[in-house]
Amino acid sequence: MATLNIQHIDKIYDNNVQAVFDFNLDVKDGELIVLVGPSGCGKSTTLRMVAGLEDISAGHLLLDGKDITQTPAKDRDMAMVFQSYALYGHMTIYENMAFSLTLRKENPNVIHKKVLAAAEILGLTSQLNKKPSQLSGGQRQRVAMGRSIVRNPKVFLFDEPLSNLDAKLRGATRREILLLHKRLQATMMYVTHDQTEALTLADRIVCMSMGHVQQVGTPLELYDDPANVFVASFIGLPPMNFFDVKVEGDRLVGKGFSVGLTPEEKARLKGYDGREITLGVRPENIVEGSDFKATVTNSENLGMNTLVYGNVASGVKATAKLKGWKSYQVGDTASFSFNRKHFFDKETTNAIRGGK
Amino acid sequence: MTTEERSIQRDRMRFIRNSLSATLCYFGILFDVFYFVNLYQSDVGTYYYQIFIGASIIYNLLFLLIVFLASEGVKNYMKNYSYLLIAIGVMQVVRIFYIPSRAHAATTMVNGVETPVMGNGQFYTQVVFLVLSAACLLVSAAVNLYKCRELAEHQKTLDAQKA
Repeated sequence: MATLNIQHIDKIYDNNVQAVFDFNLDVKDGELIVLVGPSGCGKSTTLRMVAGLEDISAGHLLLDGKDITQTPAKDRDMAMVFQSYALYGHMTIYENMAFSLTLRKENPNVIHKKVLAAAEILGLTSQLNKKPSQLSGGQRQRVAMGRSIVRNPKVFLFDEPLSNLDAKLRGATRREILLLHKRLQATMMYVTHDQTEALTLADRIVCMSMGHVQQVGTPLELYDDPANVFVASFIGLPPMNFFDVKVEGDRLVGKGFSVGLTPEEKARLKGYDGREITLGVRPENIVEGSDFKATVTNSENLGMNTLVYGNVASGVKATAKLKGWKSYQVGDTASFSFNRKHFFDKETTNAIRGGK
Repeated sequence: MTTEERSIQRDRMRFIRNSLSATLCYFGILFDVFYFVNLYQSDVGTYYYQIFIGASIIYNLLFLLIVFLASEGVKNYMKNYSYLLIAIGVMQVVRIFYIPSRAHAATTMVNGVETPVMGNGQFYTQVVFLVLSAACLLVSAAVNLYKCRELAEHQKTLDAQKA
């Protein structure tokens, strides 16, 4: 397959609006990179620049070491799968999958072999004589993927391919994409705003906001060691709780609560004594304990877990994800502790990872 | 062509429609249209064979309808439409001996001068259109019959492999 080097890429539109700022990324051979971020963060624009559907305003794009910044989309040897499937309604599934190769005037027998092989991989063999309108959303998306597979491109690009599917189908198709990636060992770039897709699919995630890359790392790195408040709030469901706290010796004092610091945490906060920081705690890191009290405002039992929403103090809210089925009533006072804490600089919003 | 290539070519027919036969049907229709436009724009209907002209209009309408229907049939490898096309193709040749031949042999008086109802030029043009139309339909039918046989044989092989 291929390596992709995206070097200092900017996207500035004609009206001087800058959508992407200094995007840098080295995609390894066979790697599945997921670009994740909220709507308008520039992830799709970046993907379209890689595909050649948008001009690159500044920077360079290298495929296998060759500069393809100015190369037209059709000559980039990349295949893109769109959210809207983009299938031809009047053609059968077979014809849709064969279409790009037919345009290239490939030998019909070779096309036939490739289409059947791709259909076999995607479980579409029995659907080849049908029209797209006769298929479900998930099957249509598989056809769109099949159309990419037959081309045997160097890089696969996916632009929110599962957004049109219902939750159940999305999960199933997501697993299929993962299996496909493992089977093809292809270099893939995948855009989504769904953090679940990002965490489950990616070898590495690129988290973006407002056109800037916020963090690049493995799913575990982004979840466990977020680079800043944005990443911490974006990755994880329910999102991380944030509290304004003051470091006072070996304690963190916030509005309505005060918690102790472990020696390791104290070491990380060296230089912050007496200063205000942002404390981040994931809902799953809040457990029943005795560090602080909260008034329950809502409780949702999800079977394996219970989500408890509470007010720690006036204007300070927290969400806890407790294991098991808990019976909290609105107005109850519950006691909790934090079993894992993340610290962020209040001014820069960056994670505090060591002595300052 | 190697055995494998032949096998793949046969297998492709399971997913690719018989567009060659269908296209030949469309050409058959096209040449028939050329024929009747050429016929009706002349004075043949006014001077001679008015009943035949009326019947030919109805026949042409039916022809267009049936051949278009057959084109869809052969596109999907339906064998029976080949026989229909053969019959209509033969009829196209037979039609030469009705209006064009009779009009070509007949004369009428125009301003006291004996004039052929259909001149040589128009007659041969019409013969060419009808023959071309017939040829297209017959070839279409032949191609479809051949492909249907190939596909049926291939399907038998696949079924045997499955069993």
